[in-house]
Amino acid sequence: MWAIARTELKKTIQDKGLWFWTFVLPVIFIVAFVAIFSGDESQSYKEVVTQIIPGYTIMFAFFIMISMVIAFVKDRERGMVARIASTPLSTHHYFFGKWLPFIIIVLIQIAVLFGFGVVVYDLPLGNPLALILLSLALAFIVTGWGMAMAVIVKTENMGIALTQILALGGALLGGLWMPVEFMPEVVQNISKALPQYWALQGYKEVILSSGGIADIWLNMLILVLAGLAGGVIALLSYPRFLRQSRS
Amino acid sequence: MISIENISKQYEAIKALNHISFKIDEGTCFGLVGPNGAGKSTLMKILSGILLDFNGDIHVKDWKVSTDRIKIKQQIGYIPQEICLEETLTAQDNLILFGNLYGLKGKELQIRMEEVLQQIGLKDRAKDKVITFSGGMKRRLNIGCALLHKPSIVIMDEPTVGIDPQSRNSIFSIIHQLKAEGSTIIYSSHYMEEVEQLCDSIGLIDKGKLMEFGRMEELLEKYAKPSLFISGESIETEMLQRFGEVESKGHGYLLNSEQPLLTLENLVTHCREHSLEPRRLELYHPRLEDIFFNLTGTQLRDS
Repeated sequence: MWAIARTELKKTIQDKGLWFWTFVLPVIFIVAFVAIFSGDESQSYKEVVTQIIPGYTIMFAFFIMISMVIAFVKDRERGMVARIASTPLSTHHYFFGKWLPFIIIVLIQIAVLFGFGVVVYDLPLGNPLALILLSLALAFIVTGWGMAMAVIVKTENMGIALTQILALGGALLGGLWMPVEFMPEVVQNISKALPQYWALQGYKEVILSSGGIADIWLNMLILVLAGLAGGVIALLSYPRFLRQSRS
Repeated sequence: MISIENISKQYEAIKALNHISFKIDEGTCFGLVGPNGAGKSTLMKILSGILLDFNGDIHVKDWKVSTDRIKIKQQIGYIPQEICLEETLTAQDNLILFGNLYGLKGKELQIRMEEVLQQIGLKDRAKDKVITFSGGMKRRLNIGCALLHKPSIVIMDEPTVGIDPQSRNSIFSIIHQLKAEGSTIIYSSHYMEEVEQLCDSIGLIDKGKLMEFGRMEELLEKYAKPSLFISGESIETEMLQRFGEVESKGHGYLLNSEQPLLTLENLVTHCREHSLEPRRLELYHPRLEDIFFNLTGTQLRDS
């Protein structure tokens, strides 16, 4: 498992595209949108910062799914999936090995973007333990869904398109771009079915209201359960994924 | 001993393998031969533990694949037809990955890596990224990754596809070395000459069925008749039919005869008397391809 994880991490950090999507583009978005909305008199500076920084962090965390799709589809097309299946490594160790590096990357991404918020915009962080656990839950769900999608999709392009629908559609409906309170009631109800909503509400609770673990347990539970569902779908889809692998 | 017992595999409407059974002796090189789509790769995938849903069973030593899969996998080094390497990483990184997957680590892995790099002739390129390697070098590294854990069974699925003669020879010398060390080799190819050169026994497979199985020389004796090959502009079938059964082969004819040397002598005399100048006239050594033709009525390369 560790061998797969180390190799995946080594490969992934060589990918310049990942650095752009994960760190550069989110920083550009945060700077641009804080500049635009900090002139809005209806919202305090703190409200703007606590909406935009966690909001865009969550949205861009979902883009890790693209890197996951590319990694898995490449493995399938090069026959690496079948080759690894011929070794004594078990299926669940294979998945954990592939999963772990992406969880680490998302956690670093969250730390960098929140750190940027603290240094540049004086973003309050609230309870550090609650913040870390919620970030872990967010990393778990985006990578869990990423793994499910990576195993199911037939092509890289299909995976990229679906990620954009999930990331951008979820950002719009989940209240990442603007608070859900400003949206019609129907949309507000749809929001509650999206992990983006629960992640953002959790961050707001910790950052704005100094909430602790007890205040965000439901948010974390929903994110973890959704992530687990992704993991289970990936595991169940593995035999088909293996059959499709070249060898 | 590897014992394949009544293996069948169905892909939706297609029967890829149809009740295949045979045994491979320990320390021998077994060639699995057949045209593209015959079921070779499917059988290789089953043998290497990649395909799990099939009917029948496989015994390796005292283990059954249905119950002792991990133990059997530990004994196998699988070299797939595709080059399965992490191209953005170094040769050494790839060897570490596969060594770790087979449970090698620390000093043991280091020693084996050096031995394997020497064996595949890539010691000087260990720290270079695979992406900078030629096709032949990648093939050799692909083989090296499967040999790190000293498997007692090496499964090679078309390991010489698309490489230059020099790399092919290098791969052959690795196979000879493995044979000398007592490894059991299962070698799949549609290159007849390679199988003839390397293997002790063969299985001929076509349309998912095992057409024939046995030691190479026994099969050659059983199916391929002794004959002469003759070609040339002035050579005609009618003339040849006086000397034996004639069949066309390539640009000439095969003249089947129970006494090929005597027939050769008579034919030379006949040609001299009638001033005929054959371009080629020689004893024909039966080939694996002839066995396949006898069994299926088709040429392997055209299938």
